[in-house]
Amino acid sequence: MAAAHFLVGALFLVLAGALQLLALFSLRFGGLSPVSFGRMESMSNLTVMFGFLVISLTGGIYYVLPRLTGTRLWRKELALTGLLLTSAVVIVDLVVVVFGFGSGRQPLGLPWWLHIPMLAALLIPLAITVMTIKNREEKRNFVTLWIVIGGVTWLPLLYLAYSAGDLPFVSSLGSTFSDLFFSAGFVTLWVFTVGSGLFYYTLVKELDIPLAFRQLAAVGFWSLGFAAAWWGIAQMVFGPGPGWVAGVAASLGLAFPIGALANASNVSVTLQGHWEELGDKPGVVSGVLGLYLGVAVAVLASFASFPSIGSVTALTAYWEAIEYAALFGVGVLLTAGISFEALPRVAGREIRTNDRPRSFNRMTIIGVGGVMISLLAAGLLDGYSWIAGSNSAAFVDAGEGWGAGSEATEVLLLFAFGFGIIAFLGQLAYAATVIGTLINGRPVPQEVLVYGDGGETDE
Amino acid sequence: MSDLSVAAAAALGVPESIVLRSAAARAAETGMTVDEVLTAWAGGGVVAGAPPAADTPAAEASPAPAESSPEPAIAEDTPAPVETPAAEPAPSAVATPSSEAVPATVSGKPPVLVGKTDNPMAVMVGAVALFAAIFLVGLVGPALPAENPGARSSELGFSEAGERGRHVFQTVGCFACHTQMVRPVVSDVGLGAVTLNDSNQVLGTRRFGPDLSDVGTRLTVSQIEAVITGLGDHPGLSLSQEDLDDLATYLLESQTSVEETKEPVSPSEDAETEGEEG
Repeated sequence: MAAAHFLVGALFLVLAGALQLLALFSLRFGGLSPVSFGRMESMSNLTVMFGFLVISLTGGIYYVLPRLTGTRLWRKELALTGLLLTSAVVIVDLVVVVFGFGSGRQPLGLPWWLHIPMLAALLIPLAITVMTIKNREEKRNFVTLWIVIGGVTWLPLLYLAYSAGDLPFVSSLGSTFSDLFFSAGFVTLWVFTVGSGLFYYTLVKELDIPLAFRQLAAVGFWSLGFAAAWWGIAQMVFGPGPGWVAGVAASLGLAFPIGALANASNVSVTLQGHWEELGDKPGVVSGVLGLYLGVAVAVLASFASFPSIGSVTALTAYWEAIEYAALFGVGVLLTAGISFEALPRVAGREIRTNDRPRSFNRMTIIGVGGVMISLLAAGLLDGYSWIAGSNSAAFVDAGEGWGAGSEATEVLLLFAFGFGIIAFLGQLAYAATVIGTLINGRPVPQEVLVYGDGGETDE
Repeated sequence: MSDLSVAAAAALGVPESIVLRSAAARAAETGMTVDEVLTAWAGGGVVAGAPPAADTPAAEASPAPAESSPEPAIAEDTPAPVETPAAEPAPSAVATPSSEAVPATVSGKPPVLVGKTDNPMAVMVGAVALFAAIFLVGLVGPALPAENPGARSSELGFSEAGERGRHVFQTVGCFACHTQMVRPVVSDVGLGAVTLNDSNQVLGTRRFGPDLSDVGTRLTVSQIEAVITGLGDHPGLSLSQEDLDDLATYLLESQTSVEETKEPVSPSEDAETEGEEG
């Protein structure tokens, strides 16, 4: 079951990477793109968030659950239904958005009538997780277990909050807050928490060493949960919301880097004395890189949550950089952290060569890091040029001064596109690793879990 | 079910049936007898080459054939050799990397995937409670309508064509590059009246192009249509004539300065006014 999720997720990652590359292209060369940047970005977001991150991390959850609970996964056929339903909703929505029938809301653009099947698809992992844990034989719970249960509980609630933004009585401001709440919540409540939780399992399992601090894992988990709302809202600093939002967002947004740092430091302490063993464990390297990149993303998001910084960075490409790095960097690396560990055990085939995973790690860090830095710089340049422009009245009168003000950022957007190509090559390497392992990996002893007296097995 | 298996199950804290399966697999792998393995697990010795699997009492197989096998084993078809069940961990084991604090397992190595006997469902309740809190404070609270003097507000409605154009503005994704949100910051000086929280425009959160809150006061309908279809740096959009007309109407009606901003009157000014009138 986990292998099917990883395979489908890898295919969607390639599609998401291609769409994101086109979005970066249309950001710089808008006139040459057949589909507008807005639609392209919605399609890319949807594909990476639900097609890749939801499906792949759910696969990781289905992989660790039987191993941590000592019981079979509850209703495997339901898990398969969830996979098919999520994939179908993503594909239908891509068609709907490209032809202009989406809701137009960021980040997904789903029309209201697709909310119901999507919500149903998200409830399936929750039901399977709860029932599997309910039937567990193992009473001593490793930290991954309660991080996973938090993630699968939050995701449908988060989606429900997002879909509420389509209700007819919700104001334009309410709908915008709902979009930001969902975008930020998805990153913190799903990608960072579940990704880190699954990586704790990988780390301990691959290196055969105990996790350094259970309490620090708890700090990371609850801090990320607490931070969810705030770094999204920080993008609306000085916007039309109530004045208290900016102050609260600045102070509570600090929970985001605290959570990310707690997880990264926990892993670092655990790895003390074992760093040299990572050479032949590319999955562990992916997870470590994902956690460290996560710290950088969280610090940058928290930094921009302060009103003084936010007055420059809000509405600019700065936030585009953070979202891109969180989804295509942290999310992809943490997913690789669990999938590279799980694949040989569930498929009975070993990753043939570590060159591809190493290439994936290298190109993802260079590509995503390059896109992030280029967009961050473009955002800061934009922010300061707006201030200068308004002082000189250059942007008044239909923004005629806009072109001059944003010309300098065009080079940076070109850099972002160039680094985006490298990141896409990394995504291709990930997909090639997953698909290649499943098709022609080197046969190895397969892990089989056995339950009860009937000789029934589960992967 | 022997006394040995009962003792081993008690020592390891896992079901006896699983202990027996694990012992059979371990015995097959190590060349020992099942009783020897069970004796070791019950506390009477060490099983050679038996790595602990403290994560789960269920098993992780290491059937050896595959290195030379042309095809991998399929999970459901594979016989079920199982691994050593977990040793009883001490609670302190999870909080420290120090092996001194971790009790040795039957193989003498510390368990790694050990945890506490807490209730994961309590985490679920906590997660729901936390989500409810951040939902109320982080989404509902800021989005609630507030009493503000209005510049562009829902009281200043769009025409029917303007409403259709607003939908086109959203579905095309114009708001991905253009905000309709003027903030009281230096950057936005001169863009129009400050947007308030009952705005009926599409706010947007990115500004790769100019803000369009007040574009209707700056451009004519023909200029707007020319920009949409690709004049200057703006990418040309392929829209039907009807959608183009509706979108142009929406943007033409996007004006913040058609209604005078009502300045709030302070109580002292109010009293002075009453005094003058009186």
